[in-house]
Amino acid sequence: MSATTAAVPFWRAAGMTYIGYSNVCAALVRNCLKEPYKSEVAAREKVHFSLSKWSDEKQEKPTVRSDNE
Amino acid sequence: MAMAMTALRREGRRALLSAPSQSAAMAARSPAISQPEIAPLGARSISTQIVRNRMKSVKNIQKITKAMKMVAASKLRAVQTRTENSRGLWQPFTALLGDAPSVDVKKNVIVAITSDKGLCGGINSTSVKVSKALQKMTSGPEKESKYVILGEKGKVQLIRDSRKHIEMTVSELQKNPINYTQVAVLADDILKNVEYDAIRVIFNKFQSVISFRPTLVTILSPEVMEKESESGGKVGDLDSYEIEGGETKSEILQNLTEFQFSCVMYNAVLENACSELGARMSAMDSSSRNAGEMLDRLTLTYNRTRQASITTELTEIISGASALEG
Repeated sequence: MSATTAAVPFWRAAGMTYIGYSNVCAALVRNCLKEPYKSEVAAREKVHFSLSKWSDEKQEKPTVRSDNE
Repeated sequence: MAMAMTALRREGRRALLSAPSQSAAMAARSPAISQPEIAPLGARSISTQIVRNRMKSVKNIQKITKAMKMVAASKLRAVQTRTENSRGLWQPFTALLGDAPSVDVKKNVIVAITSDKGLCGGINSTSVKVSKALQKMTSGPEKESKYVILGEKGKVQLIRDSRKHIEMTVSELQKNPINYTQVAVLADDILKNVEYDAIRVIFNKFQSVISFRPTLVTILSPEVMEKESESGGKVGDLDSYEIEGGETKSEILQNLTEFQFSCVMYNAVLENACSELGARMSAMDSSSRNAGEMLDRLTLTYNRTRQASITTELTEIISGASALEG
């Protein structure tokens, strides 16, 4: 437990949310699997969506988030 | 299938363009038949070409809607299992932190979850209607309330009159099968980009293939959560838990609310996808049924007209023959 306790301020200080932190941890665990399971689990990590912010009642150019953590 | 749909749409537009020049309603609906062909000069009987063409197009539409129904039905089964499993993610949070839909705070963020594709009944309008009502309730002179919209259809509807409240829009979420990682990255992005005291997630909760309930889940910011816990309420129970490690209560609350948000989002996106497929299934079912009814009516008209022309011809021949004899 001591490792986790020590880590908390660090990732928070780096500007990560708990979600980002837990995602990185999950990816790490998934990477530890051996082959038949590894590729099976990799399908659960696929990320794809396009996000666009709005300012002054106008849509800005969308950014596509695809297959990266 | 997409190609067939565009072809259909094009056909519809062409028919619309040629409509004023044709008097008969039936003729106006059927494309590719120009005026002279409806009743050629000196024609003896009514042309059945138009009805035949219309029957063909109705039959094609029916084929498409049937195929869409089958696709939705087969997708639904997989998504439904995942949805039902994902309910276990938010239930512990509600048990621990409770739900506070009536909380009154300054900065509200409404996350409206809709679908990217149409032809799925009224589920998108339901989400939008509830979001609008909530926006009215939560905004006031000293309060504000912004939209984060998931899905193209909700965006299109909300742009019309709530353009100035939109903070962020997200689409193409359903390109791959929905997974937790994807939704978590999205939730992370939302949390980083909006300021909030309370996030309200609106989605259609899947009940059965024909029934969906618009649902609201409220997620409080850590500060508001702490205030709530001091004033008693459900969150106060958190003190009775023994917590490992050296985090303070506010740190734990922050972690918990963030994780709660991603879990609720995951479930909400899945529930909405499931409702979308169910709604599309029943919508396509009823439209194939309607197409079938229309086809029956057209077949009846077609056969009757054909029979009438045969009868007329027979009468003419017989009367001609008897005139010769007499």
